[in-house]
Amino acid sequence: MKYVDEYRDADLGRALAGEILATVEPGRHYKVMEVCGGHTHSIYKYGVDDLLPANVELVHGPGCPVCVIPMGRVDDGIALAHEPGVIFTCFGDMMRVPGSNGTLLEAKAEGADIRMVYSPLDALRIAKQNPEREVVFFAIGFETTAPSTALTLKRAKTEGVRNFSCMCSHVTIVPPLRALLDSPDLRLDGFVGPGHVATVVGARPFEFIPADYRKPVVISGFEPLDILQGVHMILKQLREGRCEVENQYARVVPYEGNVRALEVMAEVFELRPHFEWRGLGFISHSGLKLSEAYADLDAERRWSVPGIRVADPKACQCGEVLKGVIKPFECKVFGTACTPERPIGTCMVSSEGACAAYYNYGRFAREREVV
Amino acid sequence: MTYCGHDSHCITCSDEAVPLRVVKIDEDRELALCENESGERTTVEIAFVQPLSLDDVVLVHAGTAIGRAA
Repeated sequence: MKYVDEYRDADLGRALAGEILATVEPGRHYKVMEVCGGHTHSIYKYGVDDLLPANVELVHGPGCPVCVIPMGRVDDGIALAHEPGVIFTCFGDMMRVPGSNGTLLEAKAEGADIRMVYSPLDALRIAKQNPEREVVFFAIGFETTAPSTALTLKRAKTEGVRNFSCMCSHVTIVPPLRALLDSPDLRLDGFVGPGHVATVVGARPFEFIPADYRKPVVISGFEPLDILQGVHMILKQLREGRCEVENQYARVVPYEGNVRALEVMAEVFELRPHFEWRGLGFISHSGLKLSEAYADLDAERRWSVPGIRVADPKACQCGEVLKGVIKPFECKVFGTACTPERPIGTCMVSSEGACAAYYNYGRFAREREVV
Repeated sequence: MTYCGHDSHCITCSDEAVPLRVVKIDEDRELALCENESGERTTVEIAFVQPLSLDDVVLVHAGTAIGRAA
């Protein structure tokens, strides 16, 4: 298919790998963070890291929305799912995220009416089909997913669907990036920017990274050649002493983003003062809630949500993995007590989680093979 | 069309959008019928990418077109 096949060409990949090798300075170690879980997944699915020189290290960032949901938030969702008459809807990966007392999947097995949906609009459809029930959509995701939720809420309001509401756990990408950059235990050389978040928000929100922190950012697509080219562009900036926001994914990402999506999001959502991130703690202005105009569709106002705070399990090192401080295989429970079948930490739950990507694609070794 | 599970790629939860080709447009309802590379079809919200033409390629995430490939 156009826009897919040409970005998976093996010969071009090898040529790009050669250009990367020619760009790096021997003796210098480079740490490049891919912010987005979709990038992490592609890197291991296509073996992109095996094409990089040994001194170019990819660090996996906090860009998997499932992985950053704290346990207390899952507990809140389960509490809502047990409310009489409620149909609780969420994306598939959320079903398996452990709360302090089980998962949504286990709550479903105990009798709660919890249904997996592929889109918020599916949840709205369920509400229309079940007018005698209350349908709650557990909204998670970055700015890639938030427009879909916003559009759904707008439709629900326009069409007067009164039995639909949203438990909003949408998050924004810039505040955690700033928190990571302020973290004293993290030394990064550059960022592979999140291509689809940028499709919505544009490239401008990432300009603070070169301006305030002197690090290059290259917004990149998700095919293997996109990622290789993105890494090459970062290394080239470093080689030439530049740091700026570049857009490798220009075939999709307009510099100003999707203005219409941003307008609808601004109408439907407002920033929370604080939001808790798994492993990262509370980050100011990093989460979204429904605006006053949409307060009647806010599940957290319709019901009394416990607002549970739960500390992460002691054995779990998701926080350090999310900050890129350790590799997944360096976690004490990786691949033993914590597996995709029985995850302890959220990074093992979602296929976009760094731990699951390492586990599923066999990255157990401390040393990787060098091409 | 979309997948969820640890052994496959959950495009809904991630920052991932799938390129789909537009095969039919309902402008009034802001919906389009779109097709992937295997010929599977799905209905997509197109409010954020209007106006569209047949054979345009849109990037779809969680049932909503968030961008278009140019």
